[in-house]
Amino acid sequence: MSTQQPLLAVTGLGKSFGGLKAVSDVSFEVMPGEIFGIIGPNGAGKTTLFNCLSGLLPLSSGAVHLDGRRIDGMRPHDICRLGLARTFQIVRPFQGMSVLENVKVAAFGRHPASADAEHHAHLALRRIGMDHLADLDAERLSVAEMRRLEIARAIATEPRLLLLDEMLAGLTATEAAALCDQIRRINAEGVTILMVEHSVPIISQLCGNAIVLNFGEMLASGTTRAVLADARVQEAYLGSAVS
Amino acid sequence: MLRRFLPALVPTLLAIAAFCASLSDPYFMEIFIMVGLIGTVAVAWNLMAGFTGLVSLGHSLFFGIGAYTVAYGQVGFGLGPLATWPIAALLALASALFIGLLCFRYGLRGYFFSIATLAFSEVAFLLVSATLWLGRSDGMMLPSSPDALRYLQFDHKWPYGLIIVGFLALTLFISQAVLTARPGYYWRALRDNEGAAEALGVPAMRYKLLVFALSAVVTAIGGAIFANTFAFVDPRSTLGVELSIQLLVFGIIGGLGLLWGPLLGAALLIPAGELLRNYLGSGFHGVNIVAYALLLIVLALLLPQGLGGVLAARLRRRAPEKPAADAKALAMEAAQ
Ligand SMILES: Nc1ncnc2c1ncn2[C@@H]1O[C@H](COP(=O)(O)OP(=O)(O)OP(=O)(O)O)[C@@H](O)[C@H]1O
Ligand SMILES: [Mg+2]
Repeated sequence: MSTQQPLLAVTGLGKSFGGLKAVSDVSFEVMPGEIFGIIGPNGAGKTTLFNCLSGLLPLSSGAVHLDGRRIDGMRPHDICRLGLARTFQIVRPFQGMSVLENVKVAAFGRHPASADAEHHAHLALRRIGMDHLADLDAERLSVAEMRRLEIARAIATEPRLLLLDEMLAGLTATEAAALCDQIRRINAEGVTILMVEHSVPIISQLCGNAIVLNFGEMLASGTTRAVLADARVQEAYLGSAVS
Repeated sequence: MLRRFLPALVPTLLAIAAFCASLSDPYFMEIFIMVGLIGTVAVAWNLMAGFTGLVSLGHSLFFGIGAYTVAYGQVGFGLGPLATWPIAALLALASALFIGLLCFRYGLRGYFFSIATLAFSEVAFLLVSATLWLGRSDGMMLPSSPDALRYLQFDHKWPYGLIIVGFLALTLFISQAVLTARPGYYWRALRDNEGAAEALGVPAMRYKLLVFALSAVVTAIGGAIFANTFAFVDPRSTLGVELSIQLLVFGIIGGLGLLWGPLLGAALLIPAGELLRNYLGSGFHGVNIVAYALLLIVLALLLPQGLGGVLAARLRRRAPEKPAADAKALAMEAAQ
């Protein structure tokens, strides 16, 4: 195999809030086409890491490269334009907008004309299987549907890399399985995925590679199987959180 | 196309009707002028407040810029509206961009943004009130000129009413066009959740500056029309905080979520204030103001969504019949 350039390269990323080191010295690389996992207990710094990658928070140290281009320090909308989209752990659709309008906001980025944006918003909704809900008031969706709306908005920006923050937590087994299928399908359509998830079975099912965060530090990285087998991971995370 | 511009078309037709009805009586025409002028400025203010979540308490600054540009342009340089209105628009644009850059650069939001805009307008108020060549707090008269048309000087009030109908229509249609295109979506997204909007590709700074600039320019044109209509400007009526508060009140009572809400608020409250002044003003000093305040409180309690919100909900409840009608029309088209 030729040496491929990573789509996302994070080097020595650190983020502190005052005295609290929420993330320190995290480095990893995501290759094009893969589904990459981030595991870690509550408060480990996973969402903070996502906020840094998507430009919503400035880094305290380190660098982030997207497809060879340095993106830390850029505004979130510029990072989005370069092809990095993210979902939010706390889903909150734009108020007073229908499902379609919510997605349209995201589609406008690459399609300035209203009719084009609407067309592409419908396409994004179809990809996630909720086009039939397009005209519904977004606040009337169920939790599972709101998660899918969140993903529809993100893919409507036409990203190369999609960051998913705990999209499966709190869903029923059937809902989670359906969403897993959709995530796989989006990945198969060419979108690289970086996902935060608590559930070990789901991570080991979906992700080839993963890292484990604990108290903001990177405990392990590598293939998901090796990472999960790591003794320190077993002790720090799996031992306490799963059993 | 028609449905898209309905929220602009219906108020415009109503305004034309009100204008025609006011032709019979100069007093009615004067009330129509105030409703149309302040109502339109309130619509522009609401593009920021209602649609983008940027509640300006300093819009009198832009109104004053418009009014004083016309007054000083004529008194000092002999310039007519053809020159002063565009200059007023440019000055308002520059001030809005300056204040906007300053506020948004430092992340001022919510109450802090409101207070900052208020501070700028109060500074302007004090400066103008102390400036000799702007007439200090006494204000400035626009002298009548033999070249009346060039300075938009008419013997009657109705031509000003006509200008204001045009101003109102233009503002409504432009606003509706922008609101139903990309900027409108971006503004509403920013109002609701700036972080999420930015992560979805919305350039927050650029679009907040855009709405600020648009709103300020329309407001300045309103101030310019005010100066030409009344041939008089003073700090209190064009730069004072009372005007900014009026916009807020008309917006809240009329409905912040609707293009025409603030216009409705103005159309209700300005005549109501006049009525109260006429019938109660001769009694206790200030009793009409107390009655006006009571009216506001009652309306605010009864209609938390604003009068327009209630009306719109009524209309929407009747809407479910519409899809059926559309389906019928489609079926007929298919049959042909
Ligand atoms: N804006 C902020 N200001 C101060 N502290 C913060 C901020 N955001 C997060 N933190 C802190 O940083 C730490 C990491 O939080 P973060 O939300 O990233 O964890 P997480 O791994 O996403 O947790 P969870 O699994 O509960 O979502 C926590 O201690 C949190 O309190
Ligand atoms: Mg989190």
